[in-house]
Amino acid sequence: MIKCQNLTKNFQSYIKEPGITGSIKALFTRNYIEKSAVANFNLEIKSGEIIGLLGPNGAGKTTLMKMFTGIIVPTSGTLEVLGFKPHERDKEFRKKISLVMGQKSQLWWDIPAMDSFLLLQKYYEIPKKSFTQRVAYLSELLEVKKLLHIHVRKLSLGERMKLELMASLLHDPEIIFLDEPTIGLDLLAQENIRDFIKAYHQEHKVTLILTSHYMADVAALCKRLVLIFDGKKRFDDPIENFEKILGQEKIVSFTFSKTQEPLDPIWEGLDATWSAAKDYVELRIPEEDLRKVSKKILEEKEVSEFSTEKMPIERVMKTLLTNPELLRKGDEI
Amino acid sequence: MKSELLKWWQTIKISWSTHTAYRLNFFLQIIGPALVFFFVKYNLWSSIYAGDKLIQIEGYTFSTMINYHVWAFIVGLLGQGHNSMNLSEDIRLGRISTYLIYPFDFWEFHSSSFIAFQFLQIFVTLISIIILYSTGIIEFHGTFAFLHGYLYTLFVSVFWFCLQFFTGILAFWLEETWIIRVMFLISTSFFSGAIIPLEFFPKAMVSILNYTPFPYLTYYPIKIFLGELTNLWAPYGILFLWIGILIAINTFIWKRGIRLYSGAGM
Repeated sequence: MIKCQNLTKNFQSYIKEPGITGSIKALFTRNYIEKSAVANFNLEIKSGEIIGLLGPNGAGKTTLMKMFTGIIVPTSGTLEVLGFKPHERDKEFRKKISLVMGQKSQLWWDIPAMDSFLLLQKYYEIPKKSFTQRVAYLSELLEVKKLLHIHVRKLSLGERMKLELMASLLHDPEIIFLDEPTIGLDLLAQENIRDFIKAYHQEHKVTLILTSHYMADVAALCKRLVLIFDGKKRFDDPIENFEKILGQEKIVSFTFSKTQEPLDPIWEGLDATWSAAKDYVELRIPEEDLRKVSKKILEEKEVSEFSTEKMPIERVMKTLLTNPELLRKGDEI
Repeated sequence: MKSELLKWWQTIKISWSTHTAYRLNFFLQIIGPALVFFFVKYNLWSSIYAGDKLIQIEGYTFSTMINYHVWAFIVGLLGQGHNSMNLSEDIRLGRISTYLIYPFDFWEFHSSSFIAFQFLQIFVTLISIIILYSTGIIEFHGTFAFLHGYLYTLFVSVFWFCLQFFTGILAFWLEETWIIRVMFLISTSFFSGAIIPLEFFPKAMVSILNYTPFPYLTYYPIKIFLGELTNLWAPYGILFLWIGILIAINTFIWKRGIRLYSGAGM
């Protein structure tokens, strides 16, 4: 369904010194730099999969999305989506995909969503009967029937996002690209969007490519994660294996009957996260040291409760973001 | 074919809704600049003719000069009213990404939007003409001359649209294109006869200008409205040629430029 090999995208920009002197200098000489946003990227996605593209800001996730959808042209490498080369922007290809951008509205701002939908009906050549059925079905599922005839600019972000999703599904696409679909939404709205995407995928088995900084989205929807860092692929495996990117480590939590001293050398190197009252701590302990370290804490401290659990992906991501060297020293895959 | 036409028609309808969403802004935007330009020229020629309003300069009395400029106002409104001011900004800020996803090409969307605007502009121009005629400000020179002039000015607007598209898509390379647009606008105003009729220009210069698109944007349409033009091969032939050249250049630039597009802001 999607296959890319050695996919690379470079962007050129120039360095400008600050102030008016810098502006005048830039008129005559420009120091151009070429930055690789995505480098030698290999990926294969099968029909019906839900993939989470993860990575910090500027890692290359959105650049990948733009290449997959044909918005930008790759610098080198090969890319095939549904048997098409996206950058050639064949109309048949465009009819089979859709893109939802959380940060950019695709609906016309000054008209009601229904007018935009009617336009999309013509663009995607959707027969009138199917269109009517589809609008009824999706508006029911998303609970937006009452919003269809209100000017988009008058809607809340959550309402608008539901209609954006609806617009992207009218033509029954085979692949849906979701670029931060829950950005800026409150917790309840995020959950609604997630539930809808999940239900829609279960029913239609479409292929979904999702980027999000909210790990709750990723955990709820994706079975496979692809981590991008500095434009390179650093992880591509089922979500269950994501914690292994940090090595074989476990999250162990201890509750103490007395307040503890976080600067005590016993916690050193264990990436301790304390509660405000300092009577609860979460530790990241290498699997081979688990027995030894736990035993030592249980012996030396007054532990009232202790448990070990799988590391949540949010914690893994946070650890990676605060310690990017963990990724840099890792092998590109 | 039918489905393609429906796409164009629906886009035109949407463009009408978006153009007229803010009514006051719409009317001020389309009629304001042309009206201000007309009053600047009125004051200019009033000062020139101040001594003797019956004197003829290059065959123009004060009243024929004002009649010329009232028609220039109409031609400006109908032929050069559309501007693609936002196109370069849309490219620079990555706002065209949405249109690259839809199975309706960007140039088709932009052209439909232009057609929608021109429909509204036909309406606004006709109302302006009725007001100008009923108040005795404008003189008519026959139904045929009027209809011919009207159609020719619509033809001029196609050239103007292509030119605007050209300056807009330069944004693939240039961070800012407004200065280029201003330069084009000033050159066009001067060389098209929108400020000074071409009779005032040196003959050698006019014969060179006749091979450029400039005089066909204002001077010749006015002359058609005034019923003074009989030889029509140049106004049609040369402008047609320039439209063809611009379409070819725009196609080439778009194909090259889209490779540089970064889809910023997404």
